[in-house]
Amino acid sequence: MERPAPAKFELLVRRDGDEDFELRQVASVVGYLNSRPRRVDPESFEISELRSSVAAAPGFILKNTTTERFLLLSAHERFLWEQMDGATSLQEIATAYVLKYGEFDFDIIPSLLRKLQRGQLLTFEPRSRLRQALARNRGHLVVKAIEMALTSLERVRIASTNVHPFFQRLYRYGGFALFTPAAIVACVGLALVSAGAAVALSREMHEVLEGFGGRALLGLVAVKLLFFGSVALHQFVHGLACVHYRRRVREFGFTFLHGFVPTFYVDVTDIFMASRRARVVTAVTGALVHLVLGAVGFIAAAYAPVGSFTQAFAAASGIIQWQALVIALYPFCFIEMDGYHVLVDVLGVPTLKHDALAYVKGLLTGASRMRLGREEGLWLGYVVLSTLSVSAFIAFNVWIIASATS
Amino acid sequence: MPASAATLAFLRDVRVFEAFSDPDLAAVVDRLRERQLRKRQILFREGDRGEEMFIVQHGTILISKAVTGKVEQVLVRVEPFDFFGEMSLFDGSPRSATAQAETDVELLVLGRDSLQAMTETTPRAAAAFFYAMVQVFMERLRRSTHQVAEATRWGLEATGLDVETR
Repeated sequence: MERPAPAKFELLVRRDGDEDFELRQVASVVGYLNSRPRRVDPESFEISELRSSVAAAPGFILKNTTTERFLLLSAHERFLWEQMDGATSLQEIATAYVLKYGEFDFDIIPSLLRKLQRGQLLTFEPRSRLRQALARNRGHLVVKAIEMALTSLERVRIASTNVHPFFQRLYRYGGFALFTPAAIVACVGLALVSAGAAVALSREMHEVLEGFGGRALLGLVAVKLLFFGSVALHQFVHGLACVHYRRRVREFGFTFLHGFVPTFYVDVTDIFMASRRARVVTAVTGALVHLVLGAVGFIAAAYAPVGSFTQAFAAASGIIQWQALVIALYPFCFIEMDGYHVLVDVLGVPTLKHDALAYVKGLLTGASRMRLGREEGLWLGYVVLSTLSVSAFIAFNVWIIASATS
Repeated sequence: MPASAATLAFLRDVRVFEAFSDPDLAAVVDRLRERQLRKRQILFREGDRGEEMFIVQHGTILISKAVTGKVEQVLVRVEPFDFFGEMSLFDGSPRSATAQAETDVELLVLGRDSLQAMTETTPRAAAAFFYAMVQVFMERLRRSTHQVAEATRWGLEATGLDVETR
């Protein structure tokens, strides 16, 4: 029997204007790719390795300790099982699979999902602990209001899937220049000049930031707004890089990450079909927007009148932009930004953060023992470096804010 | 009153008036009102009170039902010669869905008073109207049943839920 086409809904999404709307066709496959399967709680299952003298690859026995049901998993299936944390979508899991094994088996995920559902090893409960806590205390008016606000913000998503022609035009009418040797030379030149300016400014940082005077709050808000704009620019450059490598930009939009972090985003997942070099360039060039804007900020601050608001604003913007550059490219900060993706791509360990946190959590709770393999070293190194880096970042920002407001 | 030959000719191709004699159809035309909507104009919203049905002469009307927040599911597109809003015509219940113009639209409006008058003055025509209406209702019921099945299929496909071997 011929398999029917995926079921489809036509949805009408209202815009702010009462009569304005957008029509969207949502096929079931979109829901499937965006679903986030979550394995049951750790106390509800056990997994053990099954070594065989005949088979080269080990198998795994997965036991549901509540229903006493057993499943046999291959190493590939175990990898997928470990990704099913309720936060990772099937699309992301499939991407991680391709990065790990360099191939894709189109049947493995659906068949594993069926197997796990039969074994009652998947759950549909929300992953976020904050949301779980809010749901438990919904009786309180304030909690209910917070939950409703978060839900409303999560729904805010202004996006277009028909952006590729726009990015192509942007590339044709000048965007291509960003991917030329001249652009690299200009970038390095700007970085060197502005680094000199930054060092000079750092010697009199207190005087520079005093330029905010009694308008420190206004200054910080203005700096943050400029930074917000630069995030959009960052995403634009990712899109241009994707076009540069002749891949498709699938979506561009604005949303509230986790319900409260306003952010722009661009979907350049098509770049996975290109070379590793293309992926690295796409990841890095977006972040370089912050290098350039930060450089402009420092140079402007160096030429601005000492102690003026303009100088303080330009210097603070330079600091924020270069911080953003570091955060975007520095892989050890528990955030999966551009640098992290480059690192895991180069190392071939797409689940580094996930595995590292699970390993260290196991060590701290006594659930796993310290081993001294290469992988364990990588995991420990990632967690230690990330912890130190995040602490240093927080301390630096506290110092900056204290300096600006004192 | 749009008692033009063009309107008469148009109504002959509208399902519920197919069996009408020429004089009965002319009488119906006298009781219809014309209404125009600009593109994206909302005709009525889900929950509004209503006592009229609408026949699309030109353009397309989107019928949608609220799902969550600002999201509505498009139930059907009403094209020329088709009609909508008849449920409120019969029982005066609140509108069960929202009707909005997808393009510039021209409508013919049949009110409850006009239906009542037709029943009293031309009972044969009214009987033909109700008979055709029942047939349309049955078709729409079949379509709704199909939509429920499709919604279930969507859910099963989107979750990858395997119910066959459970």
